[in-house]
Amino acid sequence: MNAVPITRVRTIVDKIEDGGRDIKVFSLVDPDRWELPPFRPGAHIDLHLPGGLVRTYSLCNDPADDRRYVVAVKREAGGRGGSIVLHDEVKVGDTIGVTLPRGGLDLAAEVTRFTFVAGGIGVTPFLSAAAWLKRTGRSNFTLHMIARGAPPLADLLAPLRQSGHVVIHDTSVGQRPDVGALIGRPLSDVALACCGPDAMIDDFEQASRDWPADCVHIERFVPPPLPVDPDAKPYVLALARSQREITVAAGQTMLSALTDIGIDVPASCCGGICGSCKVDWLEGQPVHRDRVLSPAERERSLLVCVAGSAKDRLVLDL
Amino acid sequence: MLDMLTAKPVPGAVVPSWTGVVRYLHITPRAFLPMREMPELTLIAGKGIEGDRYMIGREEGFYSHKPEEGRQVTLFEYETLMALKRDHNIDLAPAEHRRNVTVAGVPLTHLVGRRFWLGEVLLESTRLSIPCRHIEEITGKAIFDPLINRSGLNCKILQGGTVRVGDAVRNVQ
Repeated sequence: MNAVPITRVRTIVDKIEDGGRDIKVFSLVDPDRWELPPFRPGAHIDLHLPGGLVRTYSLCNDPADDRRYVVAVKREAGGRGGSIVLHDEVKVGDTIGVTLPRGGLDLAAEVTRFTFVAGGIGVTPFLSAAAWLKRTGRSNFTLHMIARGAPPLADLLAPLRQSGHVVIHDTSVGQRPDVGALIGRPLSDVALACCGPDAMIDDFEQASRDWPADCVHIERFVPPPLPVDPDAKPYVLALARSQREITVAAGQTMLSALTDIGIDVPASCCGGICGSCKVDWLEGQPVHRDRVLSPAERERSLLVCVAGSAKDRLVLDL
Repeated sequence: MLDMLTAKPVPGAVVPSWTGVVRYLHITPRAFLPMREMPELTLIAGKGIEGDRYMIGREEGFYSHKPEEGRQVTLFEYETLMALKRDHNIDLAPAEHRRNVTVAGVPLTHLVGRRFWLGEVLLESTRLSIPCRHIEEITGKAIFDPLINRSGLNCKILQGGTVRVGDAVRNVQ
């Protein structure tokens, strides 16, 4: 029996291929080559790496290629360490836990043309999107690839270059292109997307400021925090029996905050109906969002998977 | 199968109050992975379904850290899929509810604690299934609320065998 819940998709490193200077391309598969959870073009996953590092990478492959997650990783010697672990320690056959895919490009049917602007390794989500667009017969797109010297992932880019979908901007022989000139004026049937270093993203945001927001997609190397309830506030959760105090961040569940410090509260549905995570509270004013506790029970207990706090401090009998 | 559903009772015989049919069969080897449609499943008494995540000894399901004999096989009503579309305009495929067996014509909510036949396999229900936020995370569909009180049935396997799409589901006489 597993003593702890399974929280990640278990994958095996099936292949590691050369993606150009300082880049490796990792193919992750299920141990039985089962289909992996589906993803949108250009979605990203978190890789849980040896040593407890968690790093986010865009998927490069076509969503129809449902037996693999392909990520391209550039070794950043001065980075935070994730790419170094992947390059120097991870080998074919290793097990890597990954999260369910998130995000990705909204390639809405009413949009007939796409302009993608990629900086260096930021091309990865567009390789996925381009494969999806070509396969589904929507070939009216241009990928502007801005890189110093030879572009990364040449093998993956090759079919797109042959079909005339890629414009290479080599900044080792010329100025970095004017992003505004690449994307042009707003058009109702065109969507834009950009992925690259922060400076390029800043230029792109400035150049696309007159475009409708739903036609513009930006993918950063470091994803911004997940959106939270704008009315949510952090609060202190005091644990009377263990004499600890923790802060529950705005939008975070009590259950998540407790799990983070190693307190294993039995939880099942995580939606406030099964009652398995019922905990007694001692002081404060809980916000009950469950559907199972009676008014009398709520005077004493709450469900940590959905409850919040109306005040700055809440004391639990834990 | 049609004969069973439409057959007239023999005078004097005890008539079961319902007879259903297996519409879809699904398994997956691990938590989070898509369910794969199968033409038949092999059910092992007291253990589970060959190849499925909750088979005892395999334990690779999302809830495997909380062992429960009622997870040996789970059932779901085909009629609920139609109700989700009719009442909530939600398209939920049989592969998405993540139960193993989709049945039609079987009143699952009436069967808690009862024994019944799934083809040649004898099951005993332990409890109603409970929806879980996990399924919203996997499907990306807001189905938690609409599935309350109709998210299927947990069962243990008393007598194993092979279950095929089209098999009859019958009350124990």
